[in-house]
Amino acid sequence: MMNRLLYMVAALVLFSGCKEEYDFPLRSNDVSLLVVEGVLNAGNGPTQILLSRTMKLDEVVQFKPVLQAQLTVEGKDNTSKPLSSAGNGNYTNPNLGMTIGTEYRLRIKTTDGKEYLSEWLVARNTPEIDSVTWKRTPAGLTVFNHTHDPSNNSRYYKWDYDETWQINSVFPSDYVWVSGSTIIQGSLPSSCWKYGKASTIIIGSSAQLQSDVITELPAFFIADKSEKISVRYSVLMKQQTLSKKAYEYFSLMKKNTESLGTIFDPQPSELRGNIVNIADPSEIVIGYMNAAKVTQKRIFITAQQANWSYPQNCSNILIPNHPDTIRKYVPIYLPWGAVETGPGTVTDYYLSEPHCVDCTRRGGSPTKPSYW
Amino acid sequence: MRRSFLLLIFSFCVLQLSAQDPKLPLINGEFNNTPFARFVNHIEASTPYFFYFDARQVDSIRVNVKAVDLPLEELLKKVFLNTDFHFSVDRQQRVYITRKFQIVTTLPEGFGTGSGNDTGNKQLLVLGEEDEKEIASTPENKLYEVGIKTNTIKPGRTNLSGYVRNEKSSEPVVNATIYLEGASSSISTDAYGYYTLALPSGRNTLNIFSPGMKDAKFQLIMYSDGKLDFSMKEQVSTLKEVIVSTQKVSNIKRVQMGVERLNIETIKRVPTVFGEADVLRVVTTLPGVKTVGEASTGFNVRGGSADQNLVLLNDATIYNPSHFFGMFSAFNPEIIKDIELYKSSIPAEFGGRLSSVLDISTREGNKKEFTGSAGIGLVTSRFNIEGPIVKDKTSFILGGRTTYANWLMKLLPDPYDQAKASFNDGNLVLNHRINPNNDIFITGYFSNDRFNLASDTTYGYSNRNGSIKWKHNFNPKLISYFTAGLDEYKYSVNSDQNKLTAYDLNFDIRQLNFKSDFSYLLDSRHTFDFGASSILYRLRPGSFTPRGKESLVNPDIVAPEQALESAIYFGDRFNITSDLSLNAGIRYSVFNYLGARNVNYYTPGLPKEEDNIAETREFKKGSIINTYHGPEYRLSLRYAINDGFSIKAAYNTLRQYIHMLSNTMAIAPTDIWKLSDPNIKPQQGNQVSLGFYKNLKSNTIETSVEIYYKQIKDYLDYKPGASLILNHNVETEVINTKGKAYGAEFMVKKPGGKLNGWVSYTFSRILLQANDPDAGISVNNGAWYPANYDKPHDATAVGNFRVNHRFSISLNMTYSTGRPITLPIGRYVYGGAQRVLYSDRNSYRIPDYFRADFSMNIDGNFKANKTTRNSWTIGVYNLTGRRNPFSVYYVSENGFINGYKLSIFGNMIPFINYNIRF
Repeated sequence: MMNRLLYMVAALVLFSGCKEEYDFPLRSNDVSLLVVEGVLNAGNGPTQILLSRTMKLDEVVQFKPVLQAQLTVEGKDNTSKPLSSAGNGNYTNPNLGMTIGTEYRLRIKTTDGKEYLSEWLVARNTPEIDSVTWKRTPAGLTVFNHTHDPSNNSRYYKWDYDETWQINSVFPSDYVWVSGSTIIQGSLPSSCWKYGKASTIIIGSSAQLQSDVITELPAFFIADKSEKISVRYSVLMKQQTLSKKAYEYFSLMKKNTESLGTIFDPQPSELRGNIVNIADPSEIVIGYMNAAKVTQKRIFITAQQANWSYPQNCSNILIPNHPDTIRKYVPIYLPWGAVETGPGTVTDYYLSEPHCVDCTRRGGSPTKPSYW
Repeated sequence: MRRSFLLLIFSFCVLQLSAQDPKLPLINGEFNNTPFARFVNHIEASTPYFFYFDARQVDSIRVNVKAVDLPLEELLKKVFLNTDFHFSVDRQQRVYITRKFQIVTTLPEGFGTGSGNDTGNKQLLVLGEEDEKEIASTPENKLYEVGIKTNTIKPGRTNLSGYVRNEKSSEPVVNATIYLEGASSSISTDAYGYYTLALPSGRNTLNIFSPGMKDAKFQLIMYSDGKLDFSMKEQVSTLKEVIVSTQKVSNIKRVQMGVERLNIETIKRVPTVFGEADVLRVVTTLPGVKTVGEASTGFNVRGGSADQNLVLLNDATIYNPSHFFGMFSAFNPEIIKDIELYKSSIPAEFGGRLSSVLDISTREGNKKEFTGSAGIGLVTSRFNIEGPIVKDKTSFILGGRTTYANWLMKLLPDPYDQAKASFNDGNLVLNHRINPNNDIFITGYFSNDRFNLASDTTYGYSNRNGSIKWKHNFNPKLISYFTAGLDEYKYSVNSDQNKLTAYDLNFDIRQLNFKSDFSYLLDSRHTFDFGASSILYRLRPGSFTPRGKESLVNPDIVAPEQALESAIYFGDRFNITSDLSLNAGIRYSVFNYLGARNVNYYTPGLPKEEDNIAETREFKKGSIINTYHGPEYRLSLRYAINDGFSIKAAYNTLRQYIHMLSNTMAIAPTDIWKLSDPNIKPQQGNQVSLGFYKNLKSNTIETSVEIYYKQIKDYLDYKPGASLILNHNVETEVINTKGKAYGAEFMVKKPGGKLNGWVSYTFSRILLQANDPDAGISVNNGAWYPANYDKPHDATAVGNFRVNHRFSISLNMTYSTGRPITLPIGRYVYGGAQRVLYSDRNSYRIPDYFRADFSMNIDGNFKANKTTRNSWTIGVYNLTGRRNPFSVYYVSENGFINGYKLSIFGNMIPFINYNIRF
């Protein structure tokens, strides 16, 4: 809405309003704050907590994981469960075995000797996801969440999702280049799977409704002609309930980082989560710890269902089976087929760009996931 | 003229006041329908009398009289019976025939040095017994006598009161400066052109100046208290020179400081976007006034927030003075007469806001004839008509504006071409003179805004105001005004995109005002102003209701709020000596927060959070929930070192009981207002200021320096991410904030001449501190931080060059430090995306702001008797095309952080406007 407003203002000044990229001259600043992400899963599934540090805006590095930290989930029922490091800042536990309604907290000890503690968190129940639906528009496809809580207790929701999509090569190969001018019969992977994760914060609330119902909450959007629905697409929607404060925190984080700068948007404001440095409460820790059962639902969308097309630029080149010609074209292009005049007698090869032949070149993994 | 009075004036120097009357000649004759001239010839032929008169005045007189041995005086009495002609006969048997007034042929006793017969090469005019006479601005050497004529003039003070009016339209001349020659103080006419003045008895010279009017000078003899109305002539060609005089008098002599007064002519000369003369936009060019950016007519005066300005249109409070996201101000320039902005010395009659009062006055309708004007611009057009309902007694002025911005929307690419935006406003002002002591003024105003983005969400807001004012003069010394009015502001948002969540969101505020103001002139040294006012507020802070049958929206209605704000005030305008003047005022305001409402009480010592509600008490309708009260002091002192140099000092305290809640940068249509309640204290502020005013080059250049220091208490800032709309416990989202503001304002102004305008420079700071323990959270760890409209350096030049009477060019330049902003200082990964880490609140600044605008004003024809007059305004806004950032921000897009600069006006904006007056 705010961006539209901006457009309108721009329109009124005869298209002269504008939005330009801008590099702001920043003072050097050495802030390196702890960032804690994740939810203590009170259901039977795994819990994964991600620890990282904030970076300077101009740092080249894209992610600074916090390694070798010690994480423990402490319960008021005197339980204590550790999370083990899974690399790159991830700390996991396959099943914390929490009891809904009991209070838990997360303790983090970092290698620099600092110790952080979350506030006590009531392990919350989460209703099942009723359905995950989608709608096709010329611009793309929007995925919606639907849920309800008959007990009217949940009210605040947060979603996360994992996505998987299959990609197929335009030219599945029957021939494989080995080296030099050697081409043998064989095949490169022509069906691969790619994986993605949410990159926005998805939250919703039914607090203003009579009943605790979430209908058609837009979760995310896939732009038209995206590769994701080129064959078949799947999303695993994960749902957790939040306390009102957690909801407010995430909504603030979302406002601060996803939609600032237009005219009526609020000023960015400080984020104060529920994790503190025991020794220095003024230290800002980013993240809001939540303990809730995580419920999930998976759906599939095929290209046909979504009336999706994914145009790819693939050449189809025919070259004579001659070592010099092969060396000239391969491996810039890869062979995928051949003109055979008899068994084993190849007169010509069909070539195409590598990404049109080998789906691993498009970042996919040839291993079919178990749920596919 | 047959035998000119002028001749007379220069011809006789000393009137012979001999002791004996000569024997009176007697007249015989019979006159039947005789033209007056022939009648005169007859008499002149048969007697020694010689007549002086204006042949044009008497040509309609037919004499029907029979005279048998009548003395001339008896005869003339018969002739002029039941007419407004007067006659006088002097001792040399010269007869003066005059209309409306009588010539005194003897000098009063005690005149001049007292002997009565040694001075007086002036023509003397005696006002008739009918008391109030309107006199035109006539040659300076006429002498007007006021009061009951006595032979000796008692030494002492007399009071003079009356109206100053435009001779042509009978409209009152407001803020005309009247000053007594030889005295260093002056007075101004009020909003109705009324004045009261104390002056020594005997001979006085009064000068009257007003912008747009010819300077007038009047010679008076005051016998006793009396009334006198002055008429001033419009001055079209030498407009500028008149302004010089006015400003000259006001800036040095006025006791108040930090007052800016602009008339509509000046406002219209300043180029604005789309060429639409914009009252508020011009206000922001004045020293000490800032704005957060272009898409905002919210303005900040000396470190005050936008809601700390009281915007009054003929005494009606306007809550949202802008149209279209602040692109235009909500006031029709064709209706506005002038504006006055009080930045420092706020008169005791005003209250309820902390920073400033912007008093906008509309014109009164022409009382003599029907006139009007119309204008066409790129996005708006306007129309007004005015005229008498009862000639010289009742008049009206009606004005309206509307927009046709939708064609612009149509030019936009899909889907934005579906967007719609419109606004309109209308004014009606009626005034009626019951008799010279009673006037009635009725004002009605509305403004509407509606916009709809391509989505199905429609936004709208509107102001509605109505007031009636009665001015009553108890006697020339005691004037009173009684005002009653109803002010309304509301907004609504509705959406029906999703049938299940379709909603209506409404907010409104209504206030009922009553006000009585009195002004009492005790003597030439003291004028008392006193009065009382009451405002009854009713706010509906928000209602969220389902729209349509299918909507599942749970109605959410925030309980209405009621309050009564009352005040009494007393002020004394005290001329201690001719050089030293004091305006001292005290205002005592009382605020009662009224039921019915449930009020939360929080556990003392704990932050005001929902978890810490100790008790919720229910109050019945009409019961007083709590009361705040306190005095407000208004003091200003002026010392005139000489005619061209004065020093002023002022101290003011103010209280504000109603607060705008907004955590967006600009005034947004969804900002709500909140009354003080047991949990939200009134805002309080005080300001000390000192100013130096010097005029140079025979008062053609004015310079001034004003410095101030201001403290603000209990200003409301917000907790991070506060959600204010539909919040039933808004007190949990606000932080009581302290503020301190200080600055120095320098101004050089050349009000008149071919080249006129002003240059100003302001250094100012506004710092806030939010460390209220009740909030449970502090901003920037409780340190002082700049408010988001803190712009330390600000320089403005507004210039107008009048090439000739019909063509002038204006150039306007403004520079200011970029405003503070909270900026990203780092980034982190959360939820699969790079996100931004923000700095402490307002610790960075956007780039500096610079803009130059240019316009040409072309007037069609200046012939006063031409039936229509047209004019063109052509110009360019943002001449250099500089892309001044409104905001700088970073967005997380596809996992990357991108910085953007948002400019509202990124190019030159040409504009053209056509106006016609009829």
